[in-house]
Amino acid sequence: MKRIILGLVLALMCGNLFPQAKKPTLMVVPSDAWCIQNGYATTYDNQGIQVVLPDYQAAFQNNMDLKLVVAKIDDLMAERGFPLKNLEQTMRSIAQREAEDNMITGKNSGASLLENPLDKISNVAKADIIIEITWDVKKTGPKSTLSFIMEAKDAYTNKSIGGASGTSEPTFSSEPVVLLEEAVLAHIDNFNVRLQNHFDDLFANGREVSLEIRVFDNDEGIDLESEYDGMELAEIIDEWMEANTVQGRFSKLDASESLIRYEQVRIPLYKESGAAMDTESFARQLHTMLRKEPYNLPVKIINRGLGRTILVIGDK
Amino acid sequence: MRRTSIYPLLFACLFMTACGTAKKLADTQTQQFRYEMECAGNGVQGTYLVKVWSFSNRIDVALEQCRKNAVHGVIFKGYTGRDGCVSQRSIARTPGVEMEHREFFDSFFADGGEWQKYVTLTEGTQEVIDLGKEYKVGMVVSVAKDDLRRALEAAGIVRSLSAGF
Repeated sequence: MKRIILGLVLALMCGNLFPQAKKPTLMVVPSDAWCIQNGYATTYDNQGIQVVLPDYQAAFQNNMDLKLVVAKIDDLMAERGFPLKNLEQTMRSIAQREAEDNMITGKNSGASLLENPLDKISNVAKADIIIEITWDVKKTGPKSTLSFIMEAKDAYTNKSIGGASGTSEPTFSSEPVVLLEEAVLAHIDNFNVRLQNHFDDLFANGREVSLEIRVFDNDEGIDLESEYDGMELAEIIDEWMEANTVQGRFSKLDASESLIRYEQVRIPLYKESGAAMDTESFARQLHTMLRKEPYNLPVKIINRGLGRTILVIGDK
Repeated sequence: MRRTSIYPLLFACLFMTACGTAKKLADTQTQQFRYEMECAGNGVQGTYLVKVWSFSNRIDVALEQCRKNAVHGVIFKGYTGRDGCVSQRSIARTPGVEMEHREFFDSFFADGGEWQKYVTLTEGTQEVIDLGKEYKVGMVVSVAKDDLRRALEAAGIVRSLSAGF
């Protein structure tokens, strides 16, 4: 018994000594250009403007090359300790979950599950890092060449994390699918070097996230210009951001009495307790401060993944 | 009679000294990155296919050194590609990593060391160019880069992609 307790204590201590940051999720997605070029797109009329959107489901159901590329990248990334979130599987899970949710009712009241419009919108396939892939096979006489682009983007900041691209040597014999597999194998290491650089930067300078402060339009008379001890609420939040971000690094993109949009916010990877920190837990610290004296503000937190959170002041 | 029996021994000693000197010089040249490496094709999964050129006044020493240089190059130098053959960066990219882990690499690159596990030569690809004072010898080899990276990660030389998460 003593040994078990000692083991547990040691395990807890190790957890605090070697904290683990929250692991970003990666997802391979065919680029819009590839989807449209290959006819996997849907068009709808948005107030007179024709909008073309990629149809991922049709792409995965009809294109074997896409399935092969995704499977290959998944295999290679899993080998490096980073298994990918599969887009096809995620879409299937969402459909399954929606079907299940529709069937759930309360035993006594027969009520269905409460779902606000935001929940419905956010019920889509998401990942922290999106890897976009594009390829194109060109034929010149009997020879064919394959151009391949692989680019990673941070889903919250839309910043390019890095990529790898190239064109294969013209060949007589190889099938496009073989060229595609070769391209993935040839480019994956260079791609991972860029990804590693991104992670190194993340460990050195904190996670780069975005944070929005908004105000409920509820006639309470509270906005970001409301004053506390001679300081506007926006200034107070700015000061808090400066004190709590890594090296005070953040940029204020937009600011008005009803909205502040912070981008390139560098948040620490770990809390003081050693536990991993994400944008929600970072925003929750600000939420705690705003709820206390002298502000006493009701604040709602809307989490949008590992790297984006919205704080809405004035209501729950 | 006695004098004649000494000569073969003397020649053997001189030959071994010359061999040892050539080998030592080749190892020094490896440490000084005096070798050339280029892409020889997009290898199969987990490997790099490279053409390595080494320099020595002895062809056999240069040929042997090509294999060692290939592993050294994949770890520290990387290589350039052309005509669809993709350039690759080195596995250990932190400046000064070789000096920092000198003890590990001295043992890793010793004759008969662990480096041999990660390289396979491709028969019939040797090329020899006589430069006058020395030979430039090239051959195509395959380096098991995934296994090599895993070994370096396990030894704490390079960080794994998922380290810290």
